[in-house]
Amino acid sequence: MNSMAIEMLVPRYGIAWYPWAVQYFFLIALSYATLWLAVPGLIFGKKAWMPTARIAMLACVTTTLVGPVALLADLHQPLRFWHFYGYPTPRSWMSLGSFILPLYLGSVVVLAWMSWRPALKECSQASDGWFSKVAGWLSWGNWKIPRPLMVLVGLAALALSIGIMLYTGAEVAIVRARPLWHTYWLPFAFVATGFIGACGLVMLLNRISQARNAIINRQMFSVMIGACIAMGFIALTWFLDGVNAVDGSVAIALDSIKDSTQWRNTALWGSVAGIALFVIAIILRLRERLWGWGWLVGLLALHVAWMFRWVVLMNVQTVARNSAGYHNYDMAFGSYGLMGILGTFGLWIAAILLIDLLIPWRGHEARAITDKSSSSSDISTGAPSHG
Amino acid sequence: MDPIRRSLLGQLAKLTAGAALVPLSSVASAGINDQPPRRGGNPEKRYGMLIDLRRCIGCQACTVSCHIENAAPLGNFRTVVSQFEVEHEETGELATFMLPRLCNHCENPPCVPVCPVQATFQREDGIVVVDSDRCVGCAYCVNACPYDARFINPRTQTADKCTFCAHRLEANLLPACVESCVGGARIIGDMRDPESEISQLIEQHRNELMVLKPEKNTLPQVFYLGMDERFTTRPDGIKPAIWDVANQNGKEIGYEFDGH
Repeated sequence: MNSMAIEMLVPRYGIAWYPWAVQYFFLIALSYATLWLAVPGLIFGKKAWMPTARIAMLACVTTTLVGPVALLADLHQPLRFWHFYGYPTPRSWMSLGSFILPLYLGSVVVLAWMSWRPALKECSQASDGWFSKVAGWLSWGNWKIPRPLMVLVGLAALALSIGIMLYTGAEVAIVRARPLWHTYWLPFAFVATGFIGACGLVMLLNRISQARNAIINRQMFSVMIGACIAMGFIALTWFLDGVNAVDGSVAIALDSIKDSTQWRNTALWGSVAGIALFVIAIILRLRERLWGWGWLVGLLALHVAWMFRWVVLMNVQTVARNSAGYHNYDMAFGSYGLMGILGTFGLWIAAILLIDLLIPWRGHEARAITDKSSSSSDISTGAPSHG
Repeated sequence: MDPIRRSLLGQLAKLTAGAALVPLSSVASAGINDQPPRRGGNPEKRYGMLIDLRRCIGCQACTVSCHIENAAPLGNFRTVVSQFEVEHEETGELATFMLPRLCNHCENPPCVPVCPVQATFQREDGIVVVDSDRCVGCAYCVNACPYDARFINPRTQTADKCTFCAHRLEANLLPACVESCVGGARIIGDMRDPESEISQLIEQHRNELMVLKPEKNTLPQVFYLGMDERFTTRPDGIKPAIWDVANQNGKEIGYEFDGH
């Protein structure tokens, strides 16, 4: 262009998807990833994975319950949610998702109930006031759940979780109007970062629930290292696709942000955090005496998983499509912004506490935790105690 | 029974009856993200617009009249004229470039198939509309439109966009933006009628017409005459203007629309 141009007049375009969307994508990714961490122990009978499965199931149920609340809040007309079922539209990924999501939620809740039921029944037989009474109601009868039925529900949940992975990824990736979204790699990146965050969450819950099981952290470090390698591969391939113009959309996407210092900083931050997480996870995996710090790595992992979604869903919306530069986005304080984010997390913590209060989700390990005799796998030394 | 509950039950009945009647083959053959069949409107017409940029003076009369006609909330626009100050790098000569924007009523509108409740649809005459009674406000269409032609109307909390003033066309009136254009730059008409002004202009300037973002494969039906190709896509190397006008205390002015 042998001329310079200044845009004189242009309206300000606001963002259309609010931080609620980030919360939903974050929670639902944690949900399906923790489900996958729970199934080796719970469904495929791997004894060594049973402690991980218990914590992962708690994480899975709470994120599955709270995630859809955030999704509903992102609708501008939340009371019209029934229109999804009144006017089914199989050609729209969002509509497909609206059918997969309740089925998935149902299967996860039933699976969790099945896995908690033996402990609930035991609790109902103890004389613990109304806790026993609630446990009696929740365990619902004296019959025994056949193992094949539980495996069947677990497999159904697993299959539906693939549907969730597919629809959440595809829903965003098909949007040609936003080149930064329009790539085959996006769904894979959501899943990989979902697993990174889920491993972190399990390690964090391992610490704060006082389970402090060393085996859990070892397993989570291994899965997290795998997920980090996958994410590194995805990010690198996406970038090379763009640089070498293999994928036109990626090239346009890189072009749209190449001059922005903010985006450069974001990319740098993401890469540094991701690589740091990868290196720390390897170091900790190799040194058993450091396993107690898993919860700290867990926090970093959750940060990476959440920030990835924030950048993808929020920051991308600020890249102007028809005008020059970037649109301003100042996060509102109210329910469309900060309060929405805090509220979702508050609801999530409340769900965890409520389940922790009413349901003996720890199963047979509960006694081990309360009498503190599980010294062989206790990793509480070396790390600060949070009660 | 109160009307809301009655309509809810009615919808549920439709849902269950519909589920029983939908043949599985039709679900299987309807590819994800394919265009649904068009509905409503006059099947004998195909509306389109031609904007003669040589006649646009950037007065924003279209912006204002559209705003009034369609009661768009302040700060949101169904149509607007982008203005650029262009400086020749060698001679330093200055020129102003005007670019009216509105919904392109694409032949392949990316906003339609994404709608999860079929609230946004294309009529048989090509006009893309939103049923605001059905819209759930998920804003998927707002993100799917490459032209920023859609927005969530904060008053109705549903998707809002240019309709070519379909309500006026039905009453044999011109859309507000066309009616108010002082230079006569905007020409709307039925492109299926070879005698219409737009058909003749398209025929006459076939090789000069341009559309916005042709690479998105949306097949826009708003054609620009006298367009500079460099402005058909997101302008490269263009400096954004000052969006936020702050007062002496650093507080933003100019976007204070709350309470209007």
